[in-house]
Amino acid sequence: MHDICKEADAINEQLARYGVKFGIYKNGEFREQLFPFDAIPRIIDAEEFEYLEKGLKQRVTALNCFLQDIYTDKKIVKDGVIPPEFVYASSGYLPQCEGVRAPKGVASHISGIDLVQAKDGTWYILEDNLRVPSGASYPLIARGLCRRASPETFRERKIVDNRDYAQLLRRTMDHVNAGGDNVILTPGRYNAAFFEHSYLAELTGSVLVTGSDLFVEDDILYYNGMGGEKRRVGAVYRRISDEYLDPMNFLPESVIGVPHIFDVFKKGNVAIINAPGNGVADDKGIYYFVPKMVQYYLGEECITHNAPTYLPYYPEDMKYVLDKFDEIVIKDVAEAGGYGVVFGNKLTKAEKENLIALIKAEPRRFIAQDVIDFIDIDIMENGERVPRKADLRAFVLTGEDVTVWKSGLTRFSRNPDSFIVNSSQGGGFKDTWVLSR
Amino acid sequence: MGVITVDKADHLYWLGRYSERVYTTLKLYCDGYDSMLDADEDFYKKLCVMLDIPNIYTSRDDFLQRYGYDRQDYNSIISNLTRAYDNAIVMRDEIGTETLGYIQMAVYSMDAASVSSAPMIQLQKVVDHLLAFWGCVDDQIDGYCIRGIMKFGKRVERLDLYLRFHMDPNEVRRTYRRMLPRARESQLPINQTAMDALKRYIEAPEMDYEGALSALLEILNV
Repeated sequence: MHDICKEADAINEQLARYGVKFGIYKNGEFREQLFPFDAIPRIIDAEEFEYLEKGLKQRVTALNCFLQDIYTDKKIVKDGVIPPEFVYASSGYLPQCEGVRAPKGVASHISGIDLVQAKDGTWYILEDNLRVPSGASYPLIARGLCRRASPETFRERKIVDNRDYAQLLRRTMDHVNAGGDNVILTPGRYNAAFFEHSYLAELTGSVLVTGSDLFVEDDILYYNGMGGEKRRVGAVYRRISDEYLDPMNFLPESVIGVPHIFDVFKKGNVAIINAPGNGVADDKGIYYFVPKMVQYYLGEECITHNAPTYLPYYPEDMKYVLDKFDEIVIKDVAEAGGYGVVFGNKLTKAEKENLIALIKAEPRRFIAQDVIDFIDIDIMENGERVPRKADLRAFVLTGEDVTVWKSGLTRFSRNPDSFIVNSSQGGGFKDTWVLSR
Repeated sequence: MGVITVDKADHLYWLGRYSERVYTTLKLYCDGYDSMLDADEDFYKKLCVMLDIPNIYTSRDDFLQRYGYDRQDYNSIISNLTRAYDNAIVMRDEIGTETLGYIQMAVYSMDAASVSSAPMIQLQKVVDHLLAFWGCVDDQIDGYCIRGIMKFGKRVERLDLYLRFHMDPNEVRRTYRRMLPRARESQLPINQTAMDALKRYIEAPEMDYEGALSALLEILNV
């Protein structure tokens, strides 16, 4: 078989040509960086993917049920399945969304579910990303280039073509479109994921807009053409977070949002993808309860596995956390992007004492997890294969039906001693092959 | 697909202008480089006058380095190329990844030239990428209006530079005539009074370069 790794430089050169970058702010300065691509793919065989697909569909369906319920009837709280403080103390819970039902019952249209595989082969869900999960564009563009660079590889292996992501996304947008154009709302050029915003706009035939392009008139969302003509917007795939979405309803100082867009959404005159308020469901504290949600809403056993998780909020879990402090990882629920993740055994005595005091003072703010010894995946470094930690972000699109994209973003750490794979912390990415048989 | 927003029309117009500015000034820079080898070491001073930029340079070598590659020099070729890139990068959804790639490659080649032992050879790649960029615009962009706006920007910039250079009147008139259909295709609102004045100054038996330049600056002021 042709070795695709031999073409890694050529593929990375092409990725540079097409501006496949992400932006980071360092020392107050914006910089665009190429996202390093490693040509050794993650390979998931058909049977394994079938299991993941089933589990992810079930999980996202339950999460969508939760989002509908939590802003309306709150049955899951009333029935004592989730303690109310985990919902209402969550920074992702938006009181403004109370009573709002997302169009067609879908609040999380595009869900990015992060998984790792343990050495015994078990897949664990690390977190659910239901706000603005990014990353699909990278394996999408890389696949096209890999096929060009090493056609033999794709002739000889039965690899499911992943280049249908834009069609899936377009279908998802069309499903909830309230009448008008599809637009992708970006905070602008200096956002970390701007490449993705503009690339997906190109591929889905959506109009790429910033907040200043959009305006509300008589409860309808529009943008202005250059000749002054008004064009109605039916669906907004927004890539800005809830708090900045609408200065009239959320953070008043936001200059990247659209005044009154949330009011238009509440009236059902535009779809917002993903719906505002989803942060309550991907909160690290709520994560603990997802298997219970599956049971509660669907009456089924949860297929996917959570990493063994402990909530210091519960006295017995607090005891476990204190007893096993050096063997666990502690996560601050308010942090994201790989920040706020602390391994107990890496702390000095003073740091450990400080953190324990903080956990005791604010138990709701932290979760603890057993460290999963997840499998290493080889990457090429200076011409040699070396093992590195890697996760997988699977993308689940919910429209008329729930579809798991037959690929995903595999991110890896370039640091041999690190479990943190985030691009913002120097990681790279791989293509994810799903085999058809 | 929807319609072009006002901001996007602006980006497309300036993408056309800056990419043309790089293309034309790069040719001038390469010709000047050649002249300064052995004919006229101070030729860069005349270039500054022609380009209507302040002569902040201390020597020929300083000019060749800073005017070519210094991102801190507002008038440098790399600064203009960066502006072309800044306008292109936000237009990926309209012009396409393939087209945008040529501007990206022009930036890489310009950076490579700045550290090359044979910069003039490297700069040819920048020219090649810009020409390929315009070829890609014709080949890949379906939107008549999008192409029209970009090409209108390109033609306005070339006319602007040729007027500043006091280029041969026939060449200026040819450039002016090539701009006219692009103005219509762009569907941008045009200041007809300025257009009429531009025509008068350019078609006059004795070309009025300064008058034409002033009129050109007003054609989008409506």
